[in-house]
Amino acid sequence: MIKDVRFIKSEGKVLMLGNEALVRGCLEAGVSYVSQYPGTPTSDIGEYFHQVIRDYPEFGEYLVHHWAVNEAVATSACAGAAWTGCRSFNPMKHVGLNVASDALSVIALNGPNPGGMVISVGSDPGSLGSHQEQNERFYAWMLHLPTIEPHTPQECKDWVKVAFELSEKFDLIMNVRTSTRSAHSRGFVELGTLVKGKKRGEFIRNIPKYNSLPPHAINNHIRLYERIEKLREIIPELGLNKIIPGNNKVGIITSGMPFGYTMEALNQLELNDVPILKLGMVYPLNYDQITDFMQNIEKVVIIEELEPFLEVKIAEIAHNQRIDVEILGQNYFPKYNEFSTGLVATCLAKIFNKQPNEQMMKAMDYYNSYKEIIPSRFPTFCAGCPERATLYSILKATNHLENTIISGDIGCYVMSFFPPQQCSDLVICMSGGISAAIGMSTKTDQKVLAMIGDSTFFHTGMAPLAEAVGYNSNLLLIIFENSWTAMTGHQDDVLRYLINQGFSIEKICKAFGVPWLRVEDSYNPKKLTRSIEEALETKGLKVIIIKRECALQAHRWRMSQVKTLQENGEKVQDISYYIGGCSMCYECVRVLSCPAIRRVETEGVEEMQIDQDRCIKCGVCYEICPNGAIRKSIINLFGEEVPFREI
Amino acid sequence: MKFKETEIINLVIAGTAGQGVITLKRLIEFAAQKAGVEACFGAEQHGLAQREGAIISHTRYQKCLTKNPRHNLQSSLICIGDADLYICMEPVEALRQGIYASNKTVFALNSRTIPGIMIAANLEEYTPLKKIVEFLNLYTDKVYYMNATKLALEEFNQNQQVNIVMLGFAIPTGRIPFIEIEHYEEVIKERLPDIDSNIKALHLGIEKGKEIISISKVN
Repeated sequence: MIKDVRFIKSEGKVLMLGNEALVRGCLEAGVSYVSQYPGTPTSDIGEYFHQVIRDYPEFGEYLVHHWAVNEAVATSACAGAAWTGCRSFNPMKHVGLNVASDALSVIALNGPNPGGMVISVGSDPGSLGSHQEQNERFYAWMLHLPTIEPHTPQECKDWVKVAFELSEKFDLIMNVRTSTRSAHSRGFVELGTLVKGKKRGEFIRNIPKYNSLPPHAINNHIRLYERIEKLREIIPELGLNKIIPGNNKVGIITSGMPFGYTMEALNQLELNDVPILKLGMVYPLNYDQITDFMQNIEKVVIIEELEPFLEVKIAEIAHNQRIDVEILGQNYFPKYNEFSTGLVATCLAKIFNKQPNEQMMKAMDYYNSYKEIIPSRFPTFCAGCPERATLYSILKATNHLENTIISGDIGCYVMSFFPPQQCSDLVICMSGGISAAIGMSTKTDQKVLAMIGDSTFFHTGMAPLAEAVGYNSNLLLIIFENSWTAMTGHQDDVLRYLINQGFSIEKICKAFGVPWLRVEDSYNPKKLTRSIEEALETKGLKVIIIKRECALQAHRWRMSQVKTLQENGEKVQDISYYIGGCSMCYECVRVLSCPAIRRVETEGVEEMQIDQDRCIKCGVCYEICPNGAIRKSIINLFGEEVPFREI
Repeated sequence: MKFKETEIINLVIAGTAGQGVITLKRLIEFAAQKAGVEACFGAEQHGLAQREGAIISHTRYQKCLTKNPRHNLQSSLICIGDADLYICMEPVEALRQGIYASNKTVFALNSRTIPGIMIAANLEEYTPLKKIVEFLNLYTDKVYYMNATKLALEEFNQNQQVNIVMLGFAIPTGRIPFIEIEHYEEVIKERLPDIDSNIKALHLGIEKGKEIISISKVN
């Protein structure tokens, strides 16, 4: 294993992703507690912390990273650590902030002192790794979370340190807001000095500060305003906001990644005299700084992704300070999706009455001339995935979803709506599927199925299950117990710790009093199909737990076992599946849709083939082939058999 | 093609999940650092590993910064039509990500196809290689392809080296300027497992690239 020295080097210039730079910044800021629930684009932050602690155990002497059960838990845990006088760091994806907001709304009033607390919200304009996009900057306003938006990895690293200083100084929870794009862009980072965090802290009793009930709730609210106003005053001294000067009478205010698109778009349009105010801190805003910038221009263009947040705040300042400036933003720029240089250039061309660059316009024309014929490439379940095999059984048991609703959820199974299986009717949020199914089952006679994975079940799924038991809701809940938080990349999280301690979803369901409960294996599709049929004929709440490890991890484990046995000179059974005498019914590719099976044409004759590189030998296609055309061969029949491990 | 030292170099690497797109992007960036470039800022796509999805990465660097920040590398995304080079691990991905191409672009394609599940299910048709090249020729006649997967399987008995073969294949196009072969070799030695195979793969790709590009120039 090659150790990554970029996190521990004392000086120099290294290439880092935005997320890696945040971690490096935390190590330079003396952070000693980190807690988070994984979610794109912030999952890898935790992986880097784990990597540092694994590769360099001296960091583990003071630094603790927790994979929390959900974002609300992580946020309160970080507040707890800060209240003992430590510095705590709490990354979350944009929708994670919705979950954490309940806790944050109170913690923001209390303030993190005597320690410091920084959250890092990974926004996702363009829904690049999420089921929705939202401009969660409005939380910054609502909860008074001062928000810093880095553009480069260097700023990610430097500004997380600034955020901790400010958090401690002003007793405020700071937000270093990234985006999927800034978190996963790589650039040079000039390293600073590593600082050891506090190993132990101490909580000092202070009832008015930490108990936000009346009368303290109001007092803390007043105190929060005082703290925010003090910070607002010193913003210009921090050097986070900067001006690129120019003489044009139209100026631009922007921040974060859109700053980069703006600079390159202006250069392309040869508009290099346009003054730009790049905001490092988007909340709060310093009135004088904004006023000064707008004083000498006639129009100001606000360039920001998603709903107009800066535009509203800047319009408020212009109004209150009586500045006569025209504010352009949402009428020229889309309020959805991710921005790009091309998009910003096109919108600016309209504002400045310019022609967009010819190379770009031609490129779009060429692309549009052929884009219709590009074959689709949906993300899909991996070869051998037990969730795909379950969808197969659902499709069979319901005669392809006849009179059936599938209430989906967040996890790998979020992909089940893609063709050809198209096996999910809706998705709301973590555990929203069970809840929606409860409501539906009271109002329709259609068959209602809900799906949830083990990590999501843990996150917030137990509460709606308890409700479904309470009302004996007429629905079938399928719980995928694959023993990993697979969608975000198999983190060594709290689910893994619980599994090692004998945690069982079956026991939880029994304890809740689920009236109809089965534990099944989707690698036995015929038996599972019968169980689903039976469940759908039964009134009331039914739960089927699919107990089968994530195929990626199961396959890795099995290959490592095989390798060890072979290295010890043992003979190991070598199973393979192949296709012969296929009648081209497409059951394996349209209903099961395994990506290890492909259609090939040899000398004008079509046939199906199993890609031996991809097949993990789960045997599901062999079980379901209606014509017995998928065959199994075993080399070394008398050798050691290495089955998948039990979970 | 001669690049100015202050010019921003734009490379698109495209492929499908699991083909080593991100590994290759990082390799080029770390090599660019060895070559002493002053700015490097590129975006990669995480979260679809192993899930068969389409993957694109943007690699951008600038050998020397200018004094005016307005002329320097500021965004990690390439602008529409501004790519100098495409390295594609799978041919149809060149079309899918084609928005960054223009008549200045050079394409280096792995001709080995990976049809998606809708093609296996016979619900969609895969675009034949000939057709893909025809479409790319709308942009430029500099479309080079080889079966890097076949070459890697023949040479190394595995497809792990395909991305490095493709890097080698792209080098003779001259569209990754200022980075020398030794810089790649250094990074391979520092960061990749199976060093000997990867260095061999790099040179194999370079030889193949020189051969194919010179043939096409003669024609």
